[in-house]
Amino acid sequence: MSESPQVLSASQQVKLKGRVTHIPTMREFAFTPLIRIFHWLRFLAIMILLISGFYIAWPFLMDPKSTDVLIQGWMRFSHLIFGFIFSCITISRNYLFLFSKDKSERRSLLDALSIDRWRSQIKAYVFLGKPDEKSGLYGPLQLVTYASFYSCSLIMVLTGLALYSRVYHEGLGQLLYAPASWLTYICGGLANVRNIHHWFTWVFIVFLIVHVYMVIWTGIRFKKAAVDAIISGYDYHTHAHIEPFPVTTSESVNINEPTIPNKSIL
Amino acid sequence: METHKALFQQGQHRLDKLKQLAPRAGDSLLEKMSAKGINRRDFMKWSAVVTSMLALPNPFTSLVAQAAEIADRVPLIWLHLAECTGCTESLLRADTPSIDTLIFDHVSLEYHETLMVASGFQAEENLQNALEKYKGKYLLAVEGGVPTADNGSFLTLGPHGETGLSRVQKAAKDAVAIIAVGTCASFGGIQAAAPNPTGTKGVQEVVKQPVINLGGCPPNERNIVGTLMYYIMFGKLPPLDMFNRPKWAYGSRVHDDCERRGHFDSGEFVEEFGSQEAKDGHCLYKMGCKGPYTYNNCPTERFNGHTSWPVLAGHGCIGCSEPDFWDAMSDFEKPLSRRLLTGLDSTADTIGAVILGAAVVGIGAHAIATFFVKPVDY
Ligand code: HEM
Ligand code: SF4
Repeated sequence: MSESPQVLSASQQVKLKGRVTHIPTMREFAFTPLIRIFHWLRFLAIMILLISGFYIAWPFLMDPKSTDVLIQGWMRFSHLIFGFIFSCITISRNYLFLFSKDKSERRSLLDALSIDRWRSQIKAYVFLGKPDEKSGLYGPLQLVTYASFYSCSLIMVLTGLALYSRVYHEGLGQLLYAPASWLTYICGGLANVRNIHHWFTWVFIVFLIVHVYMVIWTGIRFKKAAVDAIISGYDYHTHAHIEPFPVTTSESVNINEPTIPNKSIL
Repeated sequence: METHKALFQQGQHRLDKLKQLAPRAGDSLLEKMSAKGINRRDFMKWSAVVTSMLALPNPFTSLVAQAAEIADRVPLIWLHLAECTGCTESLLRADTPSIDTLIFDHVSLEYHETLMVASGFQAEENLQNALEKYKGKYLLAVEGGVPTADNGSFLTLGPHGETGLSRVQKAAKDAVAIIAVGTCASFGGIQAAAPNPTGTKGVQEVVKQPVINLGGCPPNERNIVGTLMYYIMFGKLPPLDMFNRPKWAYGSRVHDDCERRGHFDSGEFVEEFGSQEAKDGHCLYKMGCKGPYTYNNCPTERFNGHTSWPVLAGHGCIGCSEPDFWDAMSDFEKPLSRRLLTGLDSTADTIGAVILGAAVVGIGAHAIATFFVKPVDY
């Protein structure tokens, strides 16, 4: 496939025919360590919350044969522990988005205001060209998706904490008692709080698979860092490197011309 | 304790004042009790129980006892709106009349359609007289929801065909306090279930004054009498929760005080009525028990002279004392996560799974298409 000459840009086409490989050239800092740690901690928390949450909704392990096996108790306990981790991450991550010294996330807001960027990103997803260079970290569609994800996280956190403090009346529960009562009132009772908490669970499942697919797909199609960026912190841009076929013309082309710019990380 | 001291003095002061008012003609409470074979010792025990239920310290027992004795000084007007009279029935039809029932008998009940002899124009006259005579002094208890659609015309009462809406608004105007007895009066109840063609609402939504809500279908007789005692003692509303329910009665969930709770934590659930697990008294969560979402004191106060309550009898709680329970708590024999969404014959999880499936198909199609389109030019 990649041997087809159409893949080359016009300027490259005139140069040569050859096998194209993409060499990472420019390394670009994308995600701060804190953002990366939060990302993976949140992934862990969501997985455990999904499992324990669904278990709480329909406790399927039955017949423990001994009343010492507090299976439901442990499930609820782990749900709460990871619920608190998830709450902390959601709150600090919102803070970081707004106040982090690194402005690249906030710059995405500018992209989201540009109709051209919207058009180019949506076109890129339906195979019409590649997205414009963006000024921030996320494309407009990405930003809106993540913003919705955060809103849903906030809904989970608020309903979750409300459920918590309507059960545990001391310490943190006491602190949250008044706001939790208010939320319960707005929702029209605890059952509805629990319903909302359950319905929004599905947002996370659907988000999870679409998110993973989009990341991998973007990496492959646009030849850039995919999953690795949120591990190493760096995104990279690639440069088409043309490895010529054995030369058939007599013309002497300088095939050894360096294709890797100085900035290369390799 | 300082606050309790002040509260005690405040209560004693108020009771002393009330004692000077003329009692309603008739026997004193102690006379009524001895006629029913209840002695003073039983009465004091009852007072102590009500005191602790009201979350007051022990010395308040004497106040509760005094309040019960002079309950005939406080005029009470009881209205029936869109309801089944079950709240009144449950209060009155105990096979062994409890002290609670007796006190209800003793209260200066000025108007109560189920209990009074008068009917028609005569009854109407009694109501108007009571409203006039005790203006600004009477307690108003309302049983039943208030239909509001078409200007309330779904419920008309009395010889003049007055709407329930207008009647409750008129009576509320000069009441010192309003008690909504039961789920219908508190939140609309079954009459207010979707699609609610009669536009039924709880009393609090149609009057301007604060309303004490005593949810429950029916509410525990203890909660009704306890609220009366509190009012007689202190002349003010008790501490209320977010739905204006007294905290001493609706402060914890059914699930918190349920005797089956141990089985819940260790994952021992009933999955079928009549099974061995059901006989062993396992938790009814998977049979749709709504105890975890319901605030009430059923497990501790129980019903019918403290005999039993639904979960003890073997059926899950249906959350009858919560707002919109008919819609919010259905299906009654399935947990929330397995409820069928109205009109959709599928659970939230089915719908979630369908959306997930659609997303997977979309992703698959997109991924396959990627192989066939022109790679991007770099
Ligand atoms: C992505 C995040 C989360 C997911 C997917 C999730 C999922 C769930 C699910 C499916 C249930 C069962 C609902 C039902 O019975 O139908 C549940 C219950 C619950 N969740 Fe979460 N949850 C999340 C976050 C949180 C957070 C942040 C908290 C706050 C600490 C929390 C606290 C609770 C509590 C207290 C319950 C009720 C458990 C009980 O009382 O038995 N959850 N959750
Ligand atoms: S029977 Fe109902 S109220 Fe009792 S522990 Fe089980 S879920 Fe809770």
